[in-house]
Amino acid sequence: MKKITHLILALTFCIAGSISVKAQTADEVIQKHVTAIGGVDNWKKINTIKMVASTNAQGTEIPINITILQGKGMKVDYTFSGMTGWSIITEKAGWSYSPFAGQTKAEAIPEESLKQSQDQLDAQGPLIDYKAKGNTVTYLGKDDVEGTDCFKIKLVYKNGKEETMYFDASNYYHIRSVSKIKADGKEMEVTQNFGDFQKLPEGIVYAMSQDGAGGQMKIKSVEINKPIPDDFFKPEEQKTTDIKK
Amino acid sequence: MKKLLFLFAAFLIAGNVFTQTKINSYTFGAMEARWLGPGTMSGRITAIAGVNADSKTLYVGTAGGGVWKSTNAGASFKPIFDKYCMSIGAIAVDQATPSTVFVGSGESNMRNTVSIGEGLYKSADAGDNWVKVGLDSTEHIAKIIIDPKNPKNIYVAAPGPLWCDSKHRGLYKSTDGGDTWNKIFYINEKTGCADIAVDPADPNTVYATTWEFRRFPYAFNSGGNGSGMWKSMDGGKTWKELKNGLPPKPFGRIALTLAPSAPQNMIAIVEAKETGLYISSDGGETWKSQSATTNVVSRPFYFSCLVIDPKEPKRVYRPGYGFSYSDDGGYSFTDASYDGGWVHSDHHALWINPNYTNQMYLGTDGGVYFSLDRGATWMFVYNLPVGQFYHVAVDNNNPYRMYGGLQDNGSWMAPSAAPGGVNNSSWLDMYGGDGFWVQPDLMDNNIAFAESQGGNMARIDLTTFKSVDITPQAGKDDEKLRWNWNTPIVTGQANRRNLYTAAQYLYKSVDQGRTWQKISPDLTTNDKKKQQQEESGGLSEDNTSAENHCTIFTLAESALDENLIWVGTDDGNLQVVTDGGKSWMNVSKNYEAAGIPAQTWVSSIEPSRYSKNTAYVTFDNHMYGDMNTYLAKTTDGGKTWKRIISDEFTGYAHKIKEDCYNKDLLFLGTERGLFASVDGGETWFRMKNHIPDYSMVRDIQIQPQTSDLLIATHGRGIMVVNDISPMRMISKEVADKDVVLLDSKTMMLTTGKYGGGGSPVSGGWYGGNPDYIEPIEYYLKDRATKDVKLEIYDDKGKLVQSVPGTKRKGVNKVFWNQRMTPPKTATGSTKMDYGGFIAPMVLPGTYTVKLKIGDREYTNKLILKHDKGNTLFSESDREEQYTAALELYHMHEQLAALVDKINAEQKLIKENMDSVKKGSTKKLLKEYNAKLEELRSTLLATKHKSMFADEKKLRENLTEVYAAICGQESRPTNLQSGRIGVLNDDLKKGESTYEKLAAEYSAKVQQTIKEEKAKVAKSVPANNSN
Repeated sequence: MKKITHLILALTFCIAGSISVKAQTADEVIQKHVTAIGGVDNWKKINTIKMVASTNAQGTEIPINITILQGKGMKVDYTFSGMTGWSIITEKAGWSYSPFAGQTKAEAIPEESLKQSQDQLDAQGPLIDYKAKGNTVTYLGKDDVEGTDCFKIKLVYKNGKEETMYFDASNYYHIRSVSKIKADGKEMEVTQNFGDFQKLPEGIVYAMSQDGAGGQMKIKSVEINKPIPDDFFKPEEQKTTDIKK
Repeated sequence: MKKLLFLFAAFLIAGNVFTQTKINSYTFGAMEARWLGPGTMSGRITAIAGVNADSKTLYVGTAGGGVWKSTNAGASFKPIFDKYCMSIGAIAVDQATPSTVFVGSGESNMRNTVSIGEGLYKSADAGDNWVKVGLDSTEHIAKIIIDPKNPKNIYVAAPGPLWCDSKHRGLYKSTDGGDTWNKIFYINEKTGCADIAVDPADPNTVYATTWEFRRFPYAFNSGGNGSGMWKSMDGGKTWKELKNGLPPKPFGRIALTLAPSAPQNMIAIVEAKETGLYISSDGGETWKSQSATTNVVSRPFYFSCLVIDPKEPKRVYRPGYGFSYSDDGGYSFTDASYDGGWVHSDHHALWINPNYTNQMYLGTDGGVYFSLDRGATWMFVYNLPVGQFYHVAVDNNNPYRMYGGLQDNGSWMAPSAAPGGVNNSSWLDMYGGDGFWVQPDLMDNNIAFAESQGGNMARIDLTTFKSVDITPQAGKDDEKLRWNWNTPIVTGQANRRNLYTAAQYLYKSVDQGRTWQKISPDLTTNDKKKQQQEESGGLSEDNTSAENHCTIFTLAESALDENLIWVGTDDGNLQVVTDGGKSWMNVSKNYEAAGIPAQTWVSSIEPSRYSKNTAYVTFDNHMYGDMNTYLAKTTDGGKTWKRIISDEFTGYAHKIKEDCYNKDLLFLGTERGLFASVDGGETWFRMKNHIPDYSMVRDIQIQPQTSDLLIATHGRGIMVVNDISPMRMISKEVADKDVVLLDSKTMMLTTGKYGGGGSPVSGGWYGGNPDYIEPIEYYLKDRATKDVKLEIYDDKGKLVQSVPGTKRKGVNKVFWNQRMTPPKTATGSTKMDYGGFIAPMVLPGTYTVKLKIGDREYTNKLILKHDKGNTLFSESDREEQYTAALELYHMHEQLAALVDKINAEQKLIKENMDSVKKGSTKKLLKEYNAKLEELRSTLLATKHKSMFADEKKLRENLTEVYAAICGQESRPTNLQSGRIGVLNDDLKKGESTYEKLAAEYSAKVQQTIKEEKAKVAKSVPANNSN
């Protein structure tokens, strides 16, 4: 019996050892995260993403469309009361148009703000091939997000923007980001939470719910690698309003 | 082997069966504290460091509020050290790599209430993340200097532990950027290092001052043979003492600095029998006496800041009791003016922007000031809520008012809620001096009692703040009264008319302090050896009543019996009386039997509301060098005690509080954290509900009507966790379930208690208001990975509104605005219309809440009631309001449908206008389009885009009256009701016009277009048809 007890203890230690969280490195966390969300191969196939989403303001649903062409352009538009505002970011320039308070044409995004936004052109996300993309990562140990144990990683984009990412230690999903945006003499911190993780036909897991100080955005559909017209990210091609001309 | 595996499996299963979800702070994490400040009166600032490269990044260290950072020269700050020690001694920025920042915890302004640190921290990312790099036991750090030529060399001056001998003091150095540390200069266990200076031109030249200092619970001593001034020429390897020209030893604390632009020029304030300022022009080899003005020599143990301008060696700044500056190297000083407003006394930190030396930031006992004229005038920074409260009290008003006394900053009161939210202007300064206890008279709404140091207390008229001194005076046979620095003034729990205060005797008044009755003998040990405060201070006499001892420190009347009174003293006596003051029983030996040291300060007593024999007591022994958390409970009236321990506890204990509705819910406040127990003290957890992990929690109150938890912190002002009732509801059984939609309380329909212009506060600290509607609450055992939403249905099963849910672990709070889903409004305008964001408030009734998480669904009833307490808004008013709002809601939707039809017709015309060829068809289309446009332009704004150009058409007119009716708690006015009729006529007219137009044109236009298309199709050659 004594032997058996010893054996049980030994086994217990073995298993406990294998399931306990070992000291992690940033690479290990990222690799496990990427595996959890579908694997690097599936993500690297992404060239375009089109998302149809919405946010809820006081019970009113505001439709949002997000379109990204890998490395080339991103457009976000949102419609309320029949009016559509948008912002476009490309490799070289960016514009925004918000007609709700009387803006009549698209205005340029200041250069520094643009630079700090251009990481969003990466439809695959900054952690896929992060080294090749010029992003650097530092493992900051474990922390928690509202009581959920997380691995914490600081990502510095090639453009200098800093983002602290939290990965749920139980499933390696990325559940929170705190980004620091330094541009035009200002510094701003933006927190975003991610949830409602769904596996798409392409084999990737996508966070269909994203929320921050501005409210919660729910993604209704994600289309991968649908063609996007060449002039899609040109401001002169955008409808600046839907009023009759 | 098979058996073995079976056994092993059983072992694992058994383990799972007994695994219970731990109730902890995260269970209640959504209950986030509001930080109410104030910022109008801040707290002690201990360190300021700036980034030279940008002149606008500032780090501010505080005595009890952690580190705050500004990236905009002080326009706004945010706390960046809230997971660590709140007491900050020093901050240093590596100017070569400004993202590298060091913070030394444990301030070195060694006053009676100074807290303790837990080591040195380093951030490599400008304060986002911190790593402790050592010096864990130094407890106090005075200065950090980074070698400007080789930032891997870092020096730290550690005065070391204050309340006991220790080897953990001296001058420490790292040569690897802070990873490892060596003590490079050490005198003895009583003497630490108080100051350092490094020659920027020759960083191997290092100056240090050593300081022999000790505090006792009843006195302190600054000065001794260990104190001295020292110089090293080899980066700290060897040292020589500097004496030439300095006064005779012994010394006390020495503040030392050099001129960055001419480092051979140095100045020092040397505490000695004749304290004075000394100057050297040869790198400290020889010194000569200069000024000894009051501000130079005042309280050298407390004022150790001395700065020379970065560019001008003769420009010397002495932040001390006041702010002085010299243009002649310290020979003469002048004081700053108050033209920019009063500047709080007691200065400890100064940062001068080296790029523009007119700009400087000053840290005082009352917050941060900035100057743009080299310190001549100062302006206050109103956005640092780092006040150091000793106590907090509440009354029963609605909203209730909060009262409390601040270290060095008087006594204050503020409402817990206010129109526009609680902000700096909500706080009113009701009494002067150092503030401690403030007690509202719960029998007289216009009266409160407050005090200043030394037991001076007053009755205050809250309508005028005029005060009447009510301090008890010594009688014929009394000894000199001994008032604690923090003298208790307490109102009765059983009989609200009773007012108590205490020196070594306990006094009671039943007439607001007009007459007092002494109801005890001396309840302290009356140890004369501990009553030599007039000798306190060491080389500089310093007796400000802060060291008064053998005094009563805390007292409490049982809520169950006004004759049951508990008293605790600062010298270890715990006394109880059951007959209102005749037969006192000293139970100190009984608590000692539970393992609590004798002589310990009895810091708080909480007689239970549920049993007269039960009481909780906290003890504080830190002044004897013992930082343990002592909490004990008696269930037999004090005869026996059980010490309550928990691995979670940190810091010496200040306050124990029992909930007023659940006997098992307890809160403990210590020097390093707020803790809660939901099982009567069996298990505890640290409360992190938007509360810094190691907050200095001096007092805790629960407001009974709102169930708000109030925390008086000694460095972060007052914090309030609104409505802690979920903490009374979540049992271990509930916590084990995956999802629980908590029973909703009956909710009152309301648009909120306050109105106001809505303009945000310009600058200053903003504490906001409590949520104006009740939340819908649900518990999640783990963070949800699926979509979460709440759907509200009326009693007919119709969806009223869908609200996005939160996904956090523990209790989630989601707010439904008690309204319908807003209407669809007309589109195609040149302007945005807000009608589409506004919805009528629903009627009272029973609703159904469906919590949907992924494909799982949880249902509960929700009862909404009309607030009958609102006498200005009756139930019939509400019904009329609802009917009117709903009518307008439908009119908006009808108008939207009408405009949609017009838009569709115009779209058709637009799409075909270019392709139609026939002149008559074109004309027809144009004619129809023009008539439609003419109609459309009466229905919604179509011309002006600017938000400043008013263009009101039917849609905008509808929204105007719709928004007014939906937003008010009132029946519609006669003209609002009349307006609905007018607008309805307009709508009908529009519909009718459209019907006529459509009848006249629509079919004709469609037919014509169809014919033209057919013609075009016919003319296209067959081989192109595909």
